[in-house]
Amino acid sequence: MSTPGTPEMLDPQADAGAESVAAIAARSPLQLFWRRLRRDKVALTALGVVLGVVLVAILAPLIVKLVGAPGPNAQNPDLLDDFGLPSGPSGDNLFGVDDRGRDVFARVVHGSRLSLEVAFIATAITVLIGVTLGMIAGYYRGWVDTLLARTMDLMLAFPVLVLAIGIGVACSGREGCLGGAIQPGRGVVIFVISVSTWPYMARIIRGQVLSLREREFVESARSLGASDMRIIFKEILPNLIAPIIVYATILIPQNILFEAALSFLGVGVDVNTPSWGQMIADATGIFDIAWWFMVFPGMALVTTVLAFNIVGDGLQDALNPRTSK
Amino acid sequence: MAFYIVKRLLWTVVLMVLISAITFLLFYVLPTADPAALRAGRSPSPETLALIREQLGLDRPLIEQFWSFLRDLFLHFDLGNSFVNNEPVRPTLLDRIPATLFLVFGAAIVWVVVGVTIGIVSAVFRGTIWDRILMGGALLAISAPVYWLGLIGLFLFSEDIGKFGLLPGSGAYQDADGVLGQAHALVMPWIVLSAAFAAVYARLLRANLLETLSEDYIRTARAKGLSERRVVLQHGLRSAGTPIVTVLGLDIGILFGGAILTETVFNIPGVGRYAFEAISRGDLATIQGTTVFLALGVALMSLLVDIIYAFLDPRVRY
Amino acid sequence: MTRSRLRFLLLAMLAISAFAFAACGGDDDEDSASSGTTSNEEAPVADVPEGKRGGKLLELAAGDVDYLDPGHSYYQFGFQTIYAMHKPLYSFSPTDAQKAQPDLADGDPVISPDKKTVTVKLKKGVKYAPPVGREVVAKDVKYAIERFFTINVGGQYTAYFNGIDGAPKENSKEFKTFPGIETPDDYTLVFKLTKPVGVSFAAALVMPVTSPVPEEYAKKFDEKNPSTYNTNVVASGPYMIENNAEGKLTGYVAGKSIKLIRNPNWDPKLDYKPAYLDEIEIRTNASDANVAARQVLSGSKMILDTNPPAQILPRLERQFKDQFTQVASGGYRYFPMNTTLPPFDDVNVRKAVLAIFDREAAVKARGGAFVGDIATHILPPDFPGFEEAGGLETDLDYMKNPRGDAAVAAKYMKAAGFDSGKYEGDEEVFIVTANVDPGKAQAEVAKAQLEKLGFKVRLRTVPQDAVYTEWCQVPSKKVNMCGSAGWFKDFADAESMLVPTFKGAEIRKDGGNNNLGQLNDPAVDKAMDAAALLEGDERNAAWGAIDKQIMGLAPVVPFIWDKTTLIWSKDVVGVGNPYNSLVDLTFTSIK
Repeated sequence: MSTPGTPEMLDPQADAGAESVAAIAARSPLQLFWRRLRRDKVALTALGVVLGVVLVAILAPLIVKLVGAPGPNAQNPDLLDDFGLPSGPSGDNLFGVDDRGRDVFARVVHGSRLSLEVAFIATAITVLIGVTLGMIAGYYRGWVDTLLARTMDLMLAFPVLVLAIGIGVACSGREGCLGGAIQPGRGVVIFVISVSTWPYMARIIRGQVLSLREREFVESARSLGASDMRIIFKEILPNLIAPIIVYATILIPQNILFEAALSFLGVGVDVNTPSWGQMIADATGIFDIAWWFMVFPGMALVTTVLAFNIVGDGLQDALNPRTSK
Repeated sequence: MAFYIVKRLLWTVVLMVLISAITFLLFYVLPTADPAALRAGRSPSPETLALIREQLGLDRPLIEQFWSFLRDLFLHFDLGNSFVNNEPVRPTLLDRIPATLFLVFGAAIVWVVVGVTIGIVSAVFRGTIWDRILMGGALLAISAPVYWLGLIGLFLFSEDIGKFGLLPGSGAYQDADGVLGQAHALVMPWIVLSAAFAAVYARLLRANLLETLSEDYIRTARAKGLSERRVVLQHGLRSAGTPIVTVLGLDIGILFGGAILTETVFNIPGVGRYAFEAISRGDLATIQGTTVFLALGVALMSLLVDIIYAFLDPRVRY
Repeated sequence: MTRSRLRFLLLAMLAISAFAFAACGGDDDEDSASSGTTSNEEAPVADVPEGKRGGKLLELAAGDVDYLDPGHSYYQFGFQTIYAMHKPLYSFSPTDAQKAQPDLADGDPVISPDKKTVTVKLKKGVKYAPPVGREVVAKDVKYAIERFFTINVGGQYTAYFNGIDGAPKENSKEFKTFPGIETPDDYTLVFKLTKPVGVSFAAALVMPVTSPVPEEYAKKFDEKNPSTYNTNVVASGPYMIENNAEGKLTGYVAGKSIKLIRNPNWDPKLDYKPAYLDEIEIRTNASDANVAARQVLSGSKMILDTNPPAQILPRLERQFKDQFTQVASGGYRYFPMNTTLPPFDDVNVRKAVLAIFDREAAVKARGGAFVGDIATHILPPDFPGFEEAGGLETDLDYMKNPRGDAAVAAKYMKAAGFDSGKYEGDEEVFIVTANVDPGKAQAEVAKAQLEKLGFKVRLRTVPQDAVYTEWCQVPSKKVNMCGSAGWFKDFADAESMLVPTFKGAEIRKDGGNNNLGQLNDPAVDKAMDAAALLEGDERNAAWGAIDKQIMGLAPVVPFIWDKTTLIWSKDVVGVGNPYNSLVDLTFTSIK
């Protein structure tokens, strides 16, 4: 992928210049990767933003307290007018209040928790499934590979959002679904996201493994009599770590958006958990009057996703300097 | 070639059956809403419920129900009757299709034109401030959720509530007269829906173009003294643009169902919205019908893309 | 649940004897109630604006009607169209919400002294719309009621009519004729009842099911399962849905639009409805209420189906003073607490909940004071028994402060054995509500109130249609509190407001239960049995006292007596019908 706003990276020829060539023998792929990334100022700044968001999520209650805002679920009907419409930003409520009289700032800050939690867990599950199946399919080929390809077809053809809403609704009963394995709320959202994104991960890993298994070091390991397991875990997997990190980083912002979209459509977590998507959804009816209710959660969402995307781009370029296209 | 197409068609049919099965399982077997209770209305007695179950065939073994569902679907293209108002799903669905098609294809034109233009400009002026601005903007567009962009667009530019009333707002599509009026009403939805796609295409095209332009035959072309313009547009674009065609087909297919968010924000009575409304009302028959239909759309588009591709590039081995 | 509010009618009416016809016995306005208008010419239309004939009206609606078949529909919104295109035996004019007007009937029903026979005379010369075109006769009403009891048609308020001799308790698979409906001649209907319930039975003759259905035409549709009469329905009132020569409705596109045109066979001399408009189009897919409301207010020749969203309301007062009206919805909204399950099985805990509850916040979640009064008990204003139950005031300390009173709440929590004044147990409170506002919004408020008392709350949002049928009405689902419950009148009589929702004998354990709090108090039941036999002022006093008695047990949090706001374009003279709480299509006109 391209690297917007990263001038140093725009000329791949220059990047793969003398310095890297000299270092190439001595450094592991990961070290190389890090060295290249370090020179990408925009990506580093974005990484800073990402860490900031993570910090905000972790310290959410503290931040809210420091600012002196009420808790995210504290309703204050006095801040609603006679028609039940919310009041705007003020000294006490930096971002105004929502239609329940809840502080928007507190909810935006707390909303980061849900976004990141869902995105990270769903990404982890996707990576786990995707890498496992992708490696099996890429290494052994055969029926596993065929099955994976067909599943991909199926997932592509399925209207994912409809599927997601369907599962969301189906699993929101008191008992959850699949015999209680999937509980309503977060669990459903994570499940839905993982189910609909793992094939993409699997396909990427499969492609990587396909090319790796033909490389000399794998060949030589095989000729030395190494077992399949050994080759997969000792030879191939270490070479996959960098791409996994990169694609996981690309996946995270997508999953943040996915969670927000599900919440926007009303099949996300339960109504009281602050969620950016749900806040935007709740604001749709009154955004012409209470713009703050729509604007702030949206800005939080866009900023977070953008930061992740820039980091993802930077990582990708650092991984494949020559094919940085 | 003929063999390939037949194989591909057969697989599409299998795909449809699988998708039907998943939808069926999802909405009939998982605990969503009890179709009989929905159909029965207020305060039904257990006897009434039992009778309705029998009527709807809900007391039969699942596999039998599934079979009759498939039979109706594939032999008669009968999607059943809505559990909410008893009316057949098919005519309502057919009625909703034009809006979605208009929205999706209109947006596709916008994003292809805008995306390709930006991609070329960025590639040609790579490394300049323009490239950086355009690519930065593209990344921003990818990062903004479509429904939020839609709301911001309405808040700023819609005629009824916008700060600068420029374009028809939410709900204008339904009131529009004639194709031109509808197109006018769809201007904002098109822009909003195409933003992220245009950005993806611009990035993809720029990357492909940069790669292509560094290849030998392009150097040869340049060396032959062809103008940069011809080099880029004729040679570069031809090979860099092929992947775009593939992606475009799939994206359009996926968007038949994926336009739910845009349809929701702009109040466009399309298929996605129909499905969403059915889901939020627990109307199983309608959910089932729309899902299968949407999936069919995607499968057919991808079939089409594959066939076109096979014709375009005979080297592809099947 | 404003936009397609479920209309609860009185269900499973029991043996009631002193049920005044259309509540004339229990009405404050004795004059209009006793005047007993019998013919159309005398219908009082004083307080309803005169209209100009002609023009086409567009109604924007969030969703479709449930059914057009008068034997199947059971939603307010379906009734709106049905009352414009059918002539039930009786119906309510917007001019008088207390007293039903004879519609197809000619004069009031005659109830025999033993209250087991009701005789209704029919007007002569009323004709069906094309393609049927013939005169309406008594056996058409007989058929309409008999078909109502079949599974194919699926009548939903059969409890009203199963007092007729021969009527089954539940809908049956086979069509049956009832010996209890006699048609001695073409213009006379005689209903024979198995119990002395003539008064309440007569009151129920305003229901859409009493609209005539021509058997020779409808039979072929009714034999299908489900009946397809819904899309082949034939009109008898001022309007009809556009149809073809076979009677198939071409003007009805499910989920999209309904096109009403004048019924050429309708005779204005045989109807009290002025029917000014030439044509009415109802667009049933205007899914964004906000947009629709704005279009109506700034557009031309339009009305909105029901309440506009809250954010539109401030503008009504400021900008559109002449473009709206408010009609009492004639009901109450409440949060029922399940009295059979902990923690709400303790009356003191329930009183504490009522005490802490910020009802004003819940009202704000629905649009604020503009949309209704904060409830202090159950029976709504302008309703028989309201004053007797305390009017807008209350003596109960736990209902005194509409903003909630922490001290009073703590007092009752202590009385319940929680010395800290907060709940210390570990029972989770399970609330179920609709997945859309205002049901969702008000339940969020309820959750916050309970949390003030230390309860752990789980709030589940489900599709609106499922809130009642699959959760709140099903005791086995163990819902502790229903997040979007309301109960609305059909007749101005307190009995129908309190019996189905609070009488112990009304609890249905296996589903379809309307006593959502499952209050089962022998003293209340006994008082109800006694009050059911009373008439006039005594009756109102008795039911008012029962309201107080129920509030003493605190089984529910009543929070709003709402008004429905109806809006229209500036060139429309809108008329709201308080009976149905919607715009009356037969009285509305274009300037």
